[in-house]
Amino acid sequence: MISLRSVSLLYPNGVRALDHVTLEIAKGEFVFLVGHSGTGKSSVLRLLYREMRPSSGEITVDGIRVDRLPGRRVPALRRHLGVVFQDFKLLPDKTVWENVAFAMQVTGAPTKEILRQVPRALDLVGLSHRSRMYPDELSGGEQQRTAIARALVNNPKILLCDEPTGNLDPANTTEIVDLLLRINLKGTTVLVATHNQAVVDRMRRRVVRLENGKVVTDKERGYYYLGLGQGQVLSG
Amino acid sequence: MDWGRVKFFLGEVARGFTRNAVMQLTAIGTVAMTLLLLGAFLFIRTTLADLSNGMLQHIEISVYLKPNATPQTIAALRASFRADPRISTVEFIPKAEGLKELRARTRGVIDTSLLTENPLPDKFRIRVRSPELVPAVAGELRRLSGVDNVVYGQGVVERLLRLDMVLQRIGVAMIALFVIVATIIISNTTRLAVYARRREISIMQLVGATNLYVRMPFICEGLIDGVLGAAVAIILLVVVHATLWPRLLEALPFVQFNTAVVDVPVLVLQLFLVGGVIGTGAAWISVGRHLQT
Repeated sequence: MISLRSVSLLYPNGVRALDHVTLEIAKGEFVFLVGHSGTGKSSVLRLLYREMRPSSGEITVDGIRVDRLPGRRVPALRRHLGVVFQDFKLLPDKTVWENVAFAMQVTGAPTKEILRQVPRALDLVGLSHRSRMYPDELSGGEQQRTAIARALVNNPKILLCDEPTGNLDPANTTEIVDLLLRINLKGTTVLVATHNQAVVDRMRRRVVRLENGKVVTDKERGYYYLGLGQGQVLSG
Repeated sequence: MDWGRVKFFLGEVARGFTRNAVMQLTAIGTVAMTLLLLGAFLFIRTTLADLSNGMLQHIEISVYLKPNATPQTIAALRASFRADPRISTVEFIPKAEGLKELRARTRGVIDTSLLTENPLPDKFRIRVRSPELVPAVAGELRRLSGVDNVVYGQGVVERLLRLDMVLQRIGVAMIALFVIVATIIISNTTRLAVYARRREISIMQLVGATNLYVRMPFICEGLIDGVLGAAVAIILLVVVHATLWPRLLEALPFVQFNTAVVDVPVLVLQLFLVGGVIGTGAAWISVGRHLQT
């Protein structure tokens, strides 16, 4: 579903953000991308949704060669992807319903389809009862659930999350992670960039660790830190 | 037709437009100034063109005959004029009639009763089919035997054309200046609008809205600026025309302005068209430059 082959990313100032990263993610997988700030987690996501182009290497997302994708084809790629951010990126002057519908409206979806899909997405994230509220009337967790509903409303095959719990307290964090898990169980491939150790260690999913732009470990049912014995890690 | 989509789109345009109201008003005002100038210019030019054209159409060639011209010479000349395809009307005015005309024309100014004999020669009054033929025909007529002198509005044509050209140059320069100013202001308005809506834009791009779709609301705002500016200009033109124009006509009673030649619906359409093009064009350029894709 997602494939990076020897991908490097050099910033114009000479900083090497990614250094020959190779990564394969199969359809329906749930993968954590972990590492300290500035190790290239966000860069990987931004390359996948073609916010940036790699300096070298091949990137394939759902059969699309993203590294070679011309600008005019980018919208088509992004309709296959849902993206969620730490800061939610909601529109403050639109209600929950409108924020979710916005993603369909601006891609030219017919009204009938919008009226069918938006309630479904809100139901999935458990926000049907909040649909007329504005983002500033919601808790952080609810705002992020709104953002997730917006990311999912176009039925993407892949959900990319960049520090989705970065702004949330532990209770809301649990809520969001459980939601991501449920979404994954419905067949969506989920890639989460995070430095939240508790989340990673509790979930025990595939963990890809980046350091200085390189993949240093890639473990099924992994932990946040390398080299820690299972007994030393507290779950939850 | 999916009315939900239309409603959503128009709502987005309206929101963008009202969010930046002061800037939009500035843009509309500038477009209005530009088009007011353009409209006044087109109006005056059409009227003047008609005026000079009318003068040119009415130019006559007076062919004065030598005092000793015999009836045979006159008949021969008349026949040759009639045969010339460039000449449309030929009128013979004997000296007696010429004096009568002169008396009528100068009544109260010159006392022609003092004239003891008729100083005027016989003449032909000739009109040609188009004004640009006048100099050539006049030159040929002068060489005919029995012809003493040929007179037409020498100099008038040239002066009218020169006035027209000067007005045109000044008008074009001012309009060009204002078009540039209007374009800059609309571009700037669009730039601010793009900045004010960068959040929406980034989300639109993220969920896969096409570039055209992202740009469209800004282009529409530019179009609205242009069209509203044109509307303001047209209203101002109507007001100016109703108040200042009659006074101008009063001040210049000897000039026969025929304002009926100005095709008002066409002028209105032209102003809307130019306004729309300026607005859309400026917004298009600006949004292209300030939108990162």
